[in-house]
Amino acid sequence: MSGAGEVSGPGAQDFGAAPAGMRLACRGVTYSYEEARAAVPAVRDVSLELRPGGSLALLGASGAGKSTLLQLVRGLDEPEAGAVLLDGVEPGADGYAALRRAIGLVFQIPELQLFAPSAREDVAFGPRRLGWPEERVADAVSAALALVGLPAETFGDRHPYALSGGEQRRLALAGVLAMQPRLLLLDEPFVSLDPGTRRELAQILGRLKTAGVTIVLATHDVDLAWALCEELLVLRDGAVVASGPWAFGAADDDLLARNRLREPLLVELWRRLGRDPATAPRTAAEAAEALA
Amino acid sequence: MRPAIAQYYPGDSLMHRLDPRAKFVAVSALAVALFVRDSFLGLAVYAVAAALAYAISGVPVQWFWRAFRPLLWLVGLTFLAQVVFAPGTPFFSIWFIHLSWSGIELAAFLSLRLVVLVLAGSVLTLTTAPIALTDGLAWLGRPLRRIKVPTDELALMVTIALRFIPTLLVELDTIMRAQRARGADFRSGGLRERAHALVPVLIPLFVLSFRRADELALAMEARCYRPGIVRTRLHPLRARPADALLLLVTAAVIAAGLLV
Repeated sequence: MSGAGEVSGPGAQDFGAAPAGMRLACRGVTYSYEEARAAVPAVRDVSLELRPGGSLALLGASGAGKSTLLQLVRGLDEPEAGAVLLDGVEPGADGYAALRRAIGLVFQIPELQLFAPSAREDVAFGPRRLGWPEERVADAVSAALALVGLPAETFGDRHPYALSGGEQRRLALAGVLAMQPRLLLLDEPFVSLDPGTRRELAQILGRLKTAGVTIVLATHDVDLAWALCEELLVLRDGAVVASGPWAFGAADDDLLARNRLREPLLVELWRRLGRDPATAPRTAAEAAEALA
Repeated sequence: MRPAIAQYYPGDSLMHRLDPRAKFVAVSALAVALFVRDSFLGLAVYAVAAALAYAISGVPVQWFWRAFRPLLWLVGLTFLAQVVFAPGTPFFSIWFIHLSWSGIELAAFLSLRLVVLVLAGSVLTLTTAPIALTDGLAWLGRPLRRIKVPTDELALMVTIALRFIPTLLVELDTIMRAQRARGADFRSGGLRERAHALVPVLIPLFVLSFRRADELALAMEARCYRPGIVRTRLHPLRARPADALLLLVTAAVIAAGLLV
């Protein structure tokens, strides 16, 4: 990667003035797409609960409804049935719109949405839409750029399209983080990144988690999901087929295979070592420590 | 989101199975006849023929309405202009408006003619896949190659453009959603604000389109595309008796419309 800084930046406690994470609940959320002659169900009767500061891995084969569910949670589409509750507030109730604005959604390949002539301007787009005073916008932009390892002094005036792929991805993430979301929804954030950038991105997400931001991570990367998320939700054809804490019994092998997933490598390692998969470490460092 | 005009309704009716060239010639001939003939009776013959063709195609009526709706203002405008400005003996006059029976008659005639034209045209576009239509047009345009018109290349351009309209619409939708998630608002404000709000959408869309065009050109070269050589086809267009029948029926209808 060309000249990308280390992901240093401020520690978790410096992440803006973000209040604690948001509580998320979905109650029987259902949605279909209108096709030429029929409605194609994309999300069927999905219910989930996620505590403030919790982290959820949204797994499932391509086309299982992960992206649609994220967009429903953010309110880009309204569910046909069911409701998305934010901090326990029902849709339409007082304060719901403001809660919605405190949800950050990082789209698949979000660098495709960069548009401003400079990195700083692009990141400032969201905060300005929130109507913040220019001073607060500037602070939030600097903090977000630092958080993703693109310090404003070096990268602020660069043209987004002049950055490397990994830098663009992190810049796009900064554009969402600058709005100081209390709930962060990520749609396949690791797709087509080199291993170095993947690692940096995982570190950033880990830091956000420590800061108390609630995280929903839709991904095919079970290892990173295992490293980052406490809970999982597996979707199949838009319906929930498994949810709750990770558990890897014999029955789950079948579940994972049917949904075109596999168990995380560290879980497999623990099983092959004859240890309880439920106690498998989340990172290679933890594994090394446990095995030393 | 989908384009309202020139939409294809997949199906397997007689109309769908006809050769695109025959359909194009038939509709073009009918269109010319529509503009030549200037009596209600002739118009009625063509209207019935177009309606029958539409009925045979099995396409729901809403689809015609969807194609027609954007043109409604044109029909309305034509009607009004004719009613107001057509010469005739007025039975009612106010300021510059002179209503006459002959004016109303002319306005109704011209509006109906437009409706029939769109109806006939939509039978063509609704029952013919865009690619088939382009192939047909390329074939019909072949004589123009003699005078160095690059018909095959033009057809390919149209095909590629048509192929990418849905892709671009999906991408447009994704980008708009992403910017909405960042607080963009495309629905409120005046014309100026709305135009301004589109900047974060149009720039990524253009960048993406150019990148895609580059990649497509490379991919086509990698698959040995060279402009200027005659392409052979896996499924060559083949005229069948039904196509000849269509042309005969159309000729009969046109003649009937001209003679009544």
